Amino acid sequence: MPFREVSEIARMLLLTVFYCVRRPIRWSEVIRQGYDIGNRSLVFVVAVLGFLGMILIFQSAYQAQQIVGDLQMLGALFLQLLFREFAPTVTALMIATRVGTGIAAEIGSMVVTEQVDALRMNNADPVQYLVVPRFISGVAMTFLLSTLAVVVCFLSGMWIASVAYDVNPSTFYNTSMLEWGDFIAFCMKATAYGVAIPVIACHAGLSAFGGSEGVGWATTKSVVNCSLAIVFLDFLLSGLAFVFLFS
Amino acid sequence: MIRFENVTKFYGETPVLDDVTLNIERGNQVGLLGPGGAGKSLLVKIACGLVSPDLGTVTVNERDLGSLGPVELAEHRFQIGMLFQNYALFDYMTVGENIAFPLRQEGKLDELEIRNRVEDLLHKVDLPGIERNFPNELSGGMKKRVTFARAVVRNPDLLFYDDPTAGLDPVTSSKIFNLLEKVREDKNKTSIVITHDVLGVRDICDRFIVMDRGRILFRGDRQAIEDCDIKLVRQFWEGSSDG
Repeated sequence: MPFREVSEIARMLLLTVFYCVRRPIRWSEVIRQGYDIGNRSLVFVVAVLGFLGMILIFQSAYQAQQIVGDLQMLGALFLQLLFREFAPTVTALMIATRVGTGIAAEIGSMVVTEQVDALRMNNADPVQYLVVPRFISGVAMTFLLSTLAVVVCFLSGMWIASVAYDVNPSTFYNTSMLEWGDFIAFCMKATAYGVAIPVIACHAGLSAFGGSEGVGWATTKSVVNCSLAIVFLDFLLSGLAFVFLFS
Repeated sequence: MIRFENVTKFYGETPVLDDVTLNIERGNQVGLLGPGGAGKSLLVKIACGLVSPDLGTVTVNERDLGSLGPVELAEHRFQIGMLFQNYALFDYMTVGENIAFPLRQEGKLDELEIRNRVEDLLHKVDLPGIERNFPNELSGGMKKRVTFARAVVRNPDLLFYDDPTAGLDPVTSSKIFNLLEKVREDKNKTSIVITHDVLGVRDICDRFIVMDRGRILFRGDRQAIEDCDIKLVRQFWEGSSDG
């Protein structure tokens, strides 16, 4: 993302936070968007994280067996990995693809059909009217879906460990490696992604121009920028977590 | 009322409005004519404060739009009724909610008064009983009349109609022009009608402006435009390809 675009997104984020504090907030729209984001992503997140959990455990158990020959700590390490890194980041990437594109396309269509201009003509700031409800529901839903992702991924991993490697579920369910820092890192990441995705997607939608080509361009831009932001935030927050939480 | 002074706007290197100076008096209904890409819609969007000019000044009701802050600019826009070229109806709202939107934003009327005002306007535009329909259930002509109703629902003194009859059949176009004619009867209202439908707009406007490639080619009243010997103006006025 070029510097100008980053500064525009930062400006939109500040404006969004300002409108969240200043109010009024259209809570009915927040609930509608929350339902949309959650409902649209639920099956997708459960299916993908479920399979990924199985694949990860199958592969890592195979490697662990080759190297150490003991799978006692498999569940404990997997749970730590899920909280620290895997669940929030993969969920965010999926939300960026599933929801971010939807937001960019919807707002982009509103721009090219002059609906956003109509909002401006009627004293409704597009950031307050369109971005704020998506922002609030985006933060809440990213957090909830990331939590669900931990549960689904862990359960599917537990199942494959039991079936393929004969690891008892009570052995697999081991929280001994979890620290408060893991929960804090999880919360930080889920919140940061939840903030970034709707703002970046809305920014892409609001910068659409022309006709349907512009909407297509906006959705592509949304996926690319959201993915870049997630990877960058992951790197940054992981670094901060290692320095301040795990060292 | 509305004054453009040396207004220039570039898209890239190309000037899409080129040194436009124009004055529109209060109470006038002005027909803004010209071929596609002449800069008509852009001129109106600049007067709304939706687009900023690169050069020049725009004054509306003695207020220089360039000097207004975001809040004042939003207030300025809210004083204008705008009929958009692409309808711009909110597709997630019903017809009733679309028309009521400016009133709800204003926050002066209670829900019963808003509902009555919406019903009354839908009768006036000959579309009674469609409050609960969504825009995607309407024809192009019906959408134009709904967007007209939304533009006038707050009874603004300044109205811009961007191609109100584009793509409509002659009967529906005539209905739209009748609605514009009714608005014109109120002498306090100032309006700009952007259109390619010269026949329809002839009798409902006091003054005419013809634009081409970002410049004002002609301005004057009906007599002046009928006497004008500029080739493009004559072609437009007579609706023929011969000058």
